[in-house]
Amino acid sequence: MAFAIDPKRALLTGLAISCLAGPARAEPISLTDLEGRNVRLEKPAERVAAIPIPMASIVIAMGQGTERLAGMNQVAKSAVLEGILGKIFPEAAKIPADIAGQNFMPNVEALAATRPDLVIQWGGRGDDIVKPLTNAGLETLLIRYGTEDYARRYITLAARAVGKPQRAATNIAWRERVEADIAGKAKAIAPTARPKVLHIQNALTNLTAAGTGSYEDTSIRLAGGSNVAAELNNIMPVNRERIAVWDPDVILLNGFEQDLTPEFIYKDPILSQTAAARAKRVYKYPLGGYRWDPPNQESPLTWMWLANLLHPEAFSFDLRKEIRGSFKELYAYDPSDADIDGILRLPIHASAAGYDRLRTR
Amino acid sequence: MALATTADIAGPKRWSRRVLVGSGLIGLLAAAVLVGLCAGQFPVSPSRSLAIIGVAILDPLAAPSLMEERIVLLVRLPRLLLAMFAGAGLAVCGGALQSVFRNPLVSPQILGISPGAAFGGALAILLGISGLPLLGLSFACGLGALVVVGWIARINGRTEPVTVLLAGLVVGALFTALVSLIQFVADPNGSLPAIVYWLMGSLAGATWERVWLAAPGMLIGTLVLLALRFRLNVLALGENEARSLGARPERERWLVFGLVAVVVASSVAVSGVIGWVGLVIPHISRLLVGHDQRLALPVSALLGATFMVVADTLARTATTAEIPLGILTAIVGAPIFALLLRRHYGERGV
Amino acid sequence: MTVALHGAGVHLGGRWIFRNLNFTVAPGRSLAILGPNGRGKTTALHALLGFQSLAEGRRDAPERVGYVPQLLASHAPYALRDVVVMGRCARIGLFGQPKSEDYRAADAAMERIGIADLATKPFDRLSGGERQMGLLARALATGAKLLVLDEPGSALDLKNQGRLLRLLHELRRSRTMTIVFTTHDPNHALFAADEALLLLADAPAVLGSVETALSESQLSRLYDVPMHHLRLPDGVGGAVPVIVPHHHGPGEQRS
Repeated sequence: MAFAIDPKRALLTGLAISCLAGPARAEPISLTDLEGRNVRLEKPAERVAAIPIPMASIVIAMGQGTERLAGMNQVAKSAVLEGILGKIFPEAAKIPADIAGQNFMPNVEALAATRPDLVIQWGGRGDDIVKPLTNAGLETLLIRYGTEDYARRYITLAARAVGKPQRAATNIAWRERVEADIAGKAKAIAPTARPKVLHIQNALTNLTAAGTGSYEDTSIRLAGGSNVAAELNNIMPVNRERIAVWDPDVILLNGFEQDLTPEFIYKDPILSQTAAARAKRVYKYPLGGYRWDPPNQESPLTWMWLANLLHPEAFSFDLRKEIRGSFKELYAYDPSDADIDGILRLPIHASAAGYDRLRTR
Repeated sequence: MALATTADIAGPKRWSRRVLVGSGLIGLLAAAVLVGLCAGQFPVSPSRSLAIIGVAILDPLAAPSLMEERIVLLVRLPRLLLAMFAGAGLAVCGGALQSVFRNPLVSPQILGISPGAAFGGALAILLGISGLPLLGLSFACGLGALVVVGWIARINGRTEPVTVLLAGLVVGALFTALVSLIQFVADPNGSLPAIVYWLMGSLAGATWERVWLAAPGMLIGTLVLLALRFRLNVLALGENEARSLGARPERERWLVFGLVAVVVASSVAVSGVIGWVGLVIPHISRLLVGHDQRLALPVSALLGATFMVVADTLARTATTAEIPLGILTAIVGAPIFALLLRRHYGERGV
Repeated sequence: MTVALHGAGVHLGGRWIFRNLNFTVAPGRSLAILGPNGRGKTTALHALLGFQSLAEGRRDAPERVGYVPQLLASHAPYALRDVVVMGRCARIGLFGQPKSEDYRAADAAMERIGIADLATKPFDRLSGGERQMGLLARALATGAKLLVLDEPGSALDLKNQGRLLRLLHELRRSRTMTIVFTTHDPNHALFAADEALLLLADAPAVLGSVETALSESQLSRLYDVPMHHLRLPDGVGGAVPVIVPHHHGPGEQRS
């Protein structure tokens, strides 16, 4: 019942705000989500419930604060609170995180209690996690995961939904600029000069590598690397012997496993013998507003970080400066040197080759 | 007099068959181990592999330096050993339990030990625990499941096999639900894929550290069960007959359960849940040599070790990606079991 | 060594199977426990063996017993010789395997029973009579001083019943073992037992020598059918007693 009344109440609140802000802002918004569905909002969404994990920080970034984030996934919340966003937006601790289970199955009553005017949910993962939302009459926007194209589209959708399309345009222009810059310079790199890169998506309990079709593969190729696991389809388990055969020049470690550090590679009897380990070119993805390995609002920083590490001779981005500039734009926050050290995980990269440049303040 | 002659006639015939089956199986296992040592994704020629093993046997303390040596000694060898021990152990456990319960459809999963150990492992991954503590938690939960089964099944100071079976079912279902719960709350971008993969069973993480951790339990449990093989024949006669013959069925059953728990929990701790071996292998060995556990149990051990080594060699070499071993054993095991069932009931003329 | 139940009672499923059951068997003697089906013969045997815990009273029996279960209970898929050698289980120990001396004992038991020629046959392929003989051989192989049989011969044809009863009779005459067996046929008791225990329906059990306990009146009471003693010529000038039920009512003759 609550949600049947809510739109009306939301409308009234919305009208009240529109009256204060000026009538021009109350134009309806029509969106086509990544599943091709039409989503219509009478006015910019004020309360967005974001079930997909990366969407929470995107809504914060596009909405310029946490006010519009009505609810999020528990995993997203811990990522926010553990990372820099928790420091920038301490009030995020109060945002409900019980709107969905870890399998993205929505908890409709908890969701309705957050009085959302828009729910963002995963598409392409079956109808079971969507039906309960549409059934309850909640305005639902579906997104899909995995490619840069999808990322740009859902960043745009999020920004338009909260009535700030210009912020997405800025973000995408930045993405295009950095992408073109890196791709242009990388084109000149001979295939033989491209380091063999392995992205390890899981390490502690079993080893998995990112193959063709994964976002990590896209990032590696953009930054002038050659993915040793290209013959695999997306994320697949591999054994040490296979990694020994690949003998990667650079090993990238996922940003998800908290206890995973380059030491894991250096201590492993087999992995420590790879060219990457011998040359100390084992890097763990940084953690900014979100983890840098999957697509997010800070992806250009990922690409610059990766390009610097893969081709120090060709790329010399001043990453600390870039982080400062983009954080000002995304979160209106000026990170301290200590913040940036934390984002780049300097302590665990003490012996990492090529990390000195990132250290220089 | 008549007796002596029949025994004499039957004796050599029997023995020659035993020797034939025994040496055939040992040869098969040796062949599987050799192929397993030489096969792999990293190119090491068979002669080089054998030379590396030979040098290591002559000088076991020398640290491997070349990549080839590391691959053979640090990757393939511990993996083969774990596959052998786990395969032999699970098969012997299955055979022993089938005797104790007098039921050919019983497998090591039945006592709730596997689901218990699986829960421990999944919980460890969820909590971000890895390495030795993961194995420890998995092992502890496996044994804990058996203790709970024993507590539930003990009614009026006695435990009947059927109540143990039912209690095992209940505890197994409970732990399976708890594993589902853990999967439900696990981070889909982090621990969930790891949990799912671990539950499917794999020896990809085999290291010497894990061998030292799991091998003692698997070996001791398996060897003691093998030593019990004649007593298992007696227990298979049923409570009253076994008791009248001087066995103490209840106490001895718990001895068997405890040994099975040690073997299964050790194996689940290092390799996740690998099903079907403990069910199918004892059946095959009974088809080969009959029901007498004095023969069937050692044959199960050899066959189980061979089966697991072959399956694991396939798992790590068939494709670039690593195939979960538990999936392979199920895909191979289930059809074999179906064939055995048909054959078994066909023979009976049902 | 005596074998006895003293004031024994078994309570199962909310009712008493029997109460205050008393009997004592002297060494080397043979006791038959008689009663119609469902009167608790097997339960009394299990109580004596310790398979069934007593709700009251106590039992007196040696640790090691040669036990011959009812035929249906046993279908081990081993060779007969391997079944018989299991009789040596207690001597072999938990982790031991039968050695040649154990096989010698098994072979001797099979020879004594007269089934040595079946030694290598699979037990579950033997006929009912052969299996029962095998189980008897296994009981002898235990070397126990007490032999307990549950309904021996009840599932056998008449020829094999006779064979089994003669074996029991010979064992009794050798006076080397104490024997306790259940039966629902008073002739088995008459032939192979010294004493008989009658499990009456609503009265204390009757214990006595077969001659006194198996009187027509007591048997009629036991089975609730008129029973008669007859004497048949034994072919060498004497006579043997037999007991037959008299199912016909007065004048109900078959024409």
